[in-house]
Amino acid sequence: MRHGLTSLAATAVILTTAVRAQAQDNNAFYEIETKYIFGFTIGSSIGIEGEKAFEPDTFANFGKRDGSYTATETELEFEFTPNQFMQIELGPTVSYYNIHNVTDIDDRSMGSLNGFEADIRYLVLDRGLSPFAVTLSAEPEYHSLDETTGQKVVNYGLETRIEADAELIKNRLWLGLNLLYEPETTRADLGQWDNESTLGLSTALAFQIIPKVTVGAEMWYLRHYDGLSFNTFTGDAVYLGPTFYYQIAPKMLVSAAWDFQVAGHEPGVLPALDLTDFSRQRARLLLEFEF
Amino acid sequence: MRSAFAGVKPMVGVLALVTAMLSPGGPSRAQQAATVDISVKGHHFQPAEIRAPANRPVIIRVKNLDAAAMEFESVSLRVEKVVAPGTQGVVNVRPLAPGRYEFFDDFHQETRGTLVVQ
Repeated sequence: MRHGLTSLAATAVILTTAVRAQAQDNNAFYEIETKYIFGFTIGSSIGIEGEKAFEPDTFANFGKRDGSYTATETELEFEFTPNQFMQIELGPTVSYYNIHNVTDIDDRSMGSLNGFEADIRYLVLDRGLSPFAVTLSAEPEYHSLDETTGQKVVNYGLETRIEADAELIKNRLWLGLNLLYEPETTRADLGQWDNESTLGLSTALAFQIIPKVTVGAEMWYLRHYDGLSFNTFTGDAVYLGPTFYYQIAPKMLVSAAWDFQVAGHEPGVLPALDLTDFSRQRARLLLEFEF
Repeated sequence: MRSAFAGVKPMVGVLALVTAMLSPGGPSRAQQAATVDISVKGHHFQPAEIRAPANRPVIIRVKNLDAAAMEFESVSLRVEKVVAPGTQGVVNVRPLAPGRYEFFDDFHQETRGTLVVQ
């Protein structure tokens, strides 16, 4: 809860500063792409026609109910924008696990290549007179290791998102919204396919505090189900945390986020939070090198 | 009797959609484009503000009169083009809604201009 209050306070500071910023000289602040300014929430920008980039994008999960738990996944993405409406990303993923004394998960300390992902994004609503823009995204995934436990599996998933944002103050303040649905099917040792799905909704604020640097906060609500179409509810979680974006050079940027699970529950489990389907904390670190 | 081409129509539709999505100018490329000329001299756009009609493709012809290369770029127009010294580059922009669209020289980022679409 302490982390939640910190994030809320950060959001309040951002809003207050943003309102004051309206009175400031905005000439030093230029347009930025919104895709990576919201942390785990993805903005609507799809890049510039002809642009190509390499992006190591790392997602890390920390903490379960007990023991010591770290699991990371790095997507080594080649990103390109073939036209002014569409963006494509392709690349292998690498996972790392450091798990000790966590109930129901085997101890493991290892790193390995773990599958392949692609992301196809299409801009359906452009920002013109309206401050809103919307992009649809579909991300097929294949994993050879379970993302949570590191156990050998065959896993196929399709992460689909509606990625929307609004420019609240020209070149200074943005609001991001994501709607997520991710069905997955997994075959473990026993040879039986198990289906699951995740539903998510997020909102985020990002404020360009100095030119080329944004800070912000985001909130995610995630629900996990057994079955592809919300068959059996297994738990939910609310994440809250700060975000950061810095365009280091014209062709290089860094984006980071750190989220804390501040609320959640598992049916039939008394302690708060869902630490079976989700982690206690999660972080994202992305670097982009355009060429 | 089932036509030999019964399954072809949906496939043609899907193919047309994919082609439209991947084509350089997007789905509305068939409309007549408006052409706008701009030059760069002393690391300044001349003129700094250019105008184009709404809802039509726009061709921006960028003449680089400087001794150094420049890269015409815009986040909101979603275009970039490197223009060598003493040459002209052509930038194709999709049909735009009315509004103001910023552009700049990515090699000299203080060089800025605006496309006003009406």
